[in-house]
Amino acid sequence: MLRYSATKLIMKQITDQPVVSNLGPTSDELWHASKRDRNFYTYGSMGLCSSIALGMAVSIDQKVIALEGDGSTLMNLGSLGTVGRIMPDNLIIVVWDNEKWAQTGYQASHTAYGTDLESVALATGFKKTSTVSNEEDLDLIFAQALEEPGPWYIVAKIQEQKYLPVAPVEPEATMHRFRSTFVDEEKRIG
Amino acid sequence: MDWAQTIASVLKKENISIIAYVPDVNIHQVTKLLDEDPFFQLISASREEEAIGIASGAYAVGRKSAVFMQSSGFGNSINAIASLNIPSRIPIPLFINLRGEHGEFNIAQVTMGRSTRPILDVLGLPHYTLENDHELEKKVAGAIKLCYSSHEPLAICFTPLLHGGKNA
Repeated sequence: MLRYSATKLIMKQITDQPVVSNLGPTSDELWHASKRDRNFYTYGSMGLCSSIALGMAVSIDQKVIALEGDGSTLMNLGSLGTVGRIMPDNLIIVVWDNEKWAQTGYQASHTAYGTDLESVALATGFKKTSTVSNEEDLDLIFAQALEEPGPWYIVAKIQEQKYLPVAPVEPEATMHRFRSTFVDEEKRIG
Repeated sequence: MDWAQTIASVLKKENISIIAYVPDVNIHQVTKLLDEDPFFQLISASREEEAIGIASGAYAVGRKSAVFMQSSGFGNSINAIASLNIPSRIPIPLFINLRGEHGEFNIAQVTMGRSTRPILDVLGLPHYTLENDHELEKKVAGAIKLCYSSHEPLAICFTPLLHGGKNA
C-alpha cells in the first residue's frame, strides 16, 4: 500500500472532520490529496500530531483524525497512555507505518524490529484497533471508524514512494485558516 | 484568596477551560482547585511537550487552554514551543514552577531551573515571575491578555517565595 493513494482513499470518506497530519510527506501528500480548510498540517514538533488531535477531540464532539507515522509515534509513546486514560470516543489515529525514518535516509525504525504499535495501543486501553496492509481493508476499517465510537487506532503498513513536491502552505496561514472554520473571527476569543 | 485561588479565578474569568499539565507538588496547589471545578477540563499528560500539543489542538478548534509544568519539564517542551507554537502563532499561557530557586535541595534541579528564563529570552517569549501576592490578579490577567493579543506563548513563572517551595 502506498501512502498517497491511501491518503486519497481516506479523504474520500471525510466530510468536515478535522484532519491533523504528521510533518513531512504525510502533510505534503494530504495537501496534494485534498486542499481543505480543516486540514491541520504540521511542520515540526515531531511526535505531537496525535497529541494535537487529542486536544481537538476533547474540545469538540466531531470525529478527529490524526495521520501519524511510526517514527513520530515512537517519539511520544506516552501519548497513547494519555488517550487510554481519557478515552475520547471521537479520536481516530491512523499510523502510516513504513518501518523507517524515511526522511532522514530510510533508517529502520523499531517497528522493523518487532515493536507492534497496535499491541501498544491495545495495552493502553484503545477500544478499537486494527493493522491493515492493503487499500481494501483500510477503506473498510476507516469507514467503520467514522461510524463507531473509539478511540480508534489503525496501523496501516505502507511502502515508501517518491515524494511529491513540498506543499506550499505556511504554519501561520494553516492555523488561521483551520481555526477560522471553528471560530467566528468577528467574535474571536482573546 | 491565596495565590493558587487567584490563579484559578483568573483562568476562569479569561475562559481558559482546557488545562494540560504534568504534576508538580506546588502546581498541585492550583490544579487541585481546577479539578474541583467542572468548568475546567484537566488533561494529565505523560510529558510536557505532549501537554503543549494537547493545549495547541484545543486552541486550534476554538477553545482557550493553558499548560502547567515544572522548569525541568519546560526543558522537555522547548522543541514543541519552537516548532509548533511560535511558527503557527498559537498563544498558550505557560505556567512554569521554577525549581533551583531559594531552598532547593536537589542539585539536579538547579541548572534547568536557572536556565528556564534565559531560554525563554532566546526564544523571544515574554515571561513574568511571581514572587509574592502583590497585585497577583493584575499580573496574571495582564499577562494572559498579552498572550492572546500577541498570538504567542508566554510564561508565568512561580517561585518558592510565592508558594513555599518543595521540602526534601
